[in-house]
Amino acid sequence: MTAVTSADVVVTGPAIGSSARKEGGDTLLTGRGRFVDDYTLPGMRYAAVVRSEVPHARILRVDVREAEQSPGVALVLTGESAAAHAGPIPHFIDPAARGGRYTDVRCLAVGKVVYAGQPVAAVVADTRRQAEAAAELVRVEYEPLPHVLDGDDALAADAPLLYEEWPDNVVLHNHYGTGDVDAALESADLVISDTIRIARSTTAPIEPRGYLASWDRLDETLTVYGSLQNPHQLRWMVANSLGLDETAIHVITARVGGSFGLKMQGHPEETLVCLLSKLTGAPVKWIEDRREAFMAGAREQVHRFTVGAMRDGRIVGIRDQIVANTGAVSAQAGWAMPNMSATTLASGYTVPNVQAELHVVVTNKPPLNAARGFGKDSAHFVMERVVDLVARGLGLDPAEVRRTNFIPAGQFPYRTATGLNIDSGDFPGLLDKALAALDYDALRKRQADLRTEGRHLGVGLAFELTPESADGPGSFVSGFDVTTVRMTMTGKVTVYTGVTTPGGGNDTGIAQIVSDELGVPMSWITVVQGDTERCPGGFGNFSGRGMVTGGGSAALAARDVRAKIATVGARMLAVPVDEVEVAHGYVRAVGDGRTVPIPEVAAAVVTRAFAIANEVEPVLEATRAYKPGNIDHVPDERGRIQPYPTYSSCLHAAVVEVDAETGQTKLLDFVMVHDCGTIINPALVEGQAYGAIVMGIGAGLTERLVHDAQGRLASDRFKSYLLPRAGDLPTIRLEHQVTPSPFTMYGNKGAGEAGVGGAQAAVANAIEDALAPFGVTVREVPLPPPAVLALIDEARTK
Amino acid sequence: MNRVRLKVNGQEHEIEVESCTLLVHAIREDVGLTGTHVGCLTGDCGACTVLVDGASVKSCSVFAVSADGAEITTIEGLAGDEGLHPVQQAFWDEFAFQCGYCLPGMLLTTCELLDRDQDPDDAAIDQAINGNLCRCTGYASIRSAVRRAATRMAAGDPDALPESQRSESPSAEPPPSA
Repeated sequence: MTAVTSADVVVTGPAIGSSARKEGGDTLLTGRGRFVDDYTLPGMRYAAVVRSEVPHARILRVDVREAEQSPGVALVLTGESAAAHAGPIPHFIDPAARGGRYTDVRCLAVGKVVYAGQPVAAVVADTRRQAEAAAELVRVEYEPLPHVLDGDDALAADAPLLYEEWPDNVVLHNHYGTGDVDAALESADLVISDTIRIARSTTAPIEPRGYLASWDRLDETLTVYGSLQNPHQLRWMVANSLGLDETAIHVITARVGGSFGLKMQGHPEETLVCLLSKLTGAPVKWIEDRREAFMAGAREQVHRFTVGAMRDGRIVGIRDQIVANTGAVSAQAGWAMPNMSATTLASGYTVPNVQAELHVVVTNKPPLNAARGFGKDSAHFVMERVVDLVARGLGLDPAEVRRTNFIPAGQFPYRTATGLNIDSGDFPGLLDKALAALDYDALRKRQADLRTEGRHLGVGLAFELTPESADGPGSFVSGFDVTTVRMTMTGKVTVYTGVTTPGGGNDTGIAQIVSDELGVPMSWITVVQGDTERCPGGFGNFSGRGMVTGGGSAALAARDVRAKIATVGARMLAVPVDEVEVAHGYVRAVGDGRTVPIPEVAAAVVTRAFAIANEVEPVLEATRAYKPGNIDHVPDERGRIQPYPTYSSCLHAAVVEVDAETGQTKLLDFVMVHDCGTIINPALVEGQAYGAIVMGIGAGLTERLVHDAQGRLASDRFKSYLLPRAGDLPTIRLEHQVTPSPFTMYGNKGAGEAGVGGAQAAVANAIEDALAPFGVTVREVPLPPPAVLALIDEARTK
Repeated sequence: MNRVRLKVNGQEHEIEVESCTLLVHAIREDVGLTGTHVGCLTGDCGACTVLVDGASVKSCSVFAVSADGAEITTIEGLAGDEGLHPVQQAFWDEFAFQCGYCLPGMLLTTCELLDRDQDPDDAAIDQAINGNLCRCTGYASIRSAVRRAATRMAAGDPDALPESQRSESPSAEPPPSA
């Protein structure tokens, strides 16, 4: 035993709260990060998917003869033959479990297709090019059926039915909220009714989806590599649809090149690629191409609202009828997003009377897929437009109308009219910081000055409340997660966690937590994620849960291991255990500063189990689950449940100049004041926020998925679907406010989702503000130049 | 099939490709360097950017045969024995990537920019990286990284880093356990 003196100890500050650089950053920087398309296996073959070219039709015949004769082809699979080997794909969130309607979703269409792009057949060949060439030779004969692409049209009594076992095209119909809206509107000084449309946009990570499945004929086991968010859910889904034992399936998450919800599980190609490997006995890889990736919708809603406000700006009631076009049904969770649009309505405002009615409607468009914001973004877009319209109607400043209606900082937890129990926050504080950052009064003066020159500067504000770390009973949307912390006898630590990272960096944050809780340097820690054989059963990535549930469970497990290190270390230092601290790789006697290195303690636990470590269970490993507080599934007296532990909040401010001649919007400045409670790693939080803001700016200005009259995607590349580029953006300014959550391990809230809806609303509000001299009203996003010109024309002809 | 000679990151390769094989596929599949990524195959996202004879090229928009005899630099060729290239270091320090999928394009585009303009302003940076899409960062941190790299390289101090970070050799990920 070589206890050293304190002079030898290199002490650094706590890891939590520091902007530690990204774990494994050098691997990515040198091109050695292994994404799914970078895996190759011996004998690997490639799959291509034959997709429907029509939006709605019966499949009369699938002729595969020519394709089967094509060079290199090993298998051509049709929907009928796939159905003989694979059952329906279980839903990530079953609509029936939420009071909605169930329908079978299969990996390849059987009997009929319900959207252009739906998988109809698949080809496996020696090379990708051979597979794609053969896919072109599959002949599908269709009997066209009438189709419907618009959500309102799909609700009409004579609309074509997508799913013939349903009486209509409604997946979910629900009412939300409490209070007497009629009476509130009756009493209001100002009542506004209008319609807002949010067009279909998409997540568009730079890496599309992809899977590589390998069936072992001898062991009868399946190994799946994928660009995934939810490996354990995938294992369960594939086990169900292919009739395999879950323990026969090993899912390995490759590095994920961005996801933003897209790579949550439930996609038909997941089951399909596994089945193709099983049928061919070879490893089969399928990598989505960009055109296919653009089929995934992120949001598409129409809101018909009526709002009532008093002369002083107080909003007293809102009624909102929402029609959400979810496209065809998928087993992925996208259909459930509009539920959160309704639930989040009224946001962080004290609106006592809220009534929302939601129809989630199926149409012959491709399915919505889960997307950053998960429907909350649309609630914010509508609510922030509503607040601006109220301000305009009453001749009040939009900043002050927000302040008037915010839940006061002292009133948390606060139960909203729709049932959310907001844990904490300081919304007026966010507003103050944003206005100061803008120099709001000076900006308004500059706006007035520029108007005299015929120039159109606009300022748009938007508040955003982000319920995070959801729990949905009976689904795979889980509010807890599980982490194992394991220390070797040399003191090195491996953290195996059930949460996954789509690239944002929660592995770094979790390492920071373990570093502080266990008392070892960051460089001793490795974080393993996404592997169903190595990591404990968990739920992966969604709903800003990585640091709440992954970080919380890692902390608990690290504390268990630390307790043993402290016990044995104290004995080695011959002091009571409550007189040592464990930090920076050493156990230190508080009294005299003597230390013993943790590796020596770890070795002693294992090699002196019957001596100095006697009565300490000699395993330096712990597995713990963390369940945050504030989740309540018992309906209250008004039937409201509370599925979120914590609520992040932020305030956005966009400054634009609009060219009224060209319709071009130039974004001049953008400020976000962000409150995600205690911050584990500021740089990582900021990175997430910047990305979400820019995604929202894109959805507000340029991003729109366009389908032709036959439901075929017209915006199928980055030339026709316009993501913001560097030159389109000012340097976004971010400020933090910290109001810790009382319901999570460190007071941290979710980060990563906040940004989309608020930014989308802020730019839209800014454009309306810029064009106030024309009297325009923004009723739809995105707002590319032609839409802006149309707004001006519309206002002029009134 | 066509015989094509490429000098990739200083190493000679002779590969057999079809006439229609794209350079990005030749690099990934025939040369075997998978750090260059495919994001769109339409020349829009820039994740496949490499340097061909010193000029940035979207390797999805070039046939492999047309690069016969060329010197190519990929993301794997930036770090030397002494550690990461200053551009790589700057991207790490400035959190200029998250998922890392767009990184090959961002890094090589930055190298090309700093090769011809040692002190680019924001407009020049934006112009250089405008052909490269990033969905994670919102670009601000990338601009900061380009500026930091320029400053460091101008100071002639390519590895102006703490000793501990310089001595660490980059860790490779384990091969697939199939």
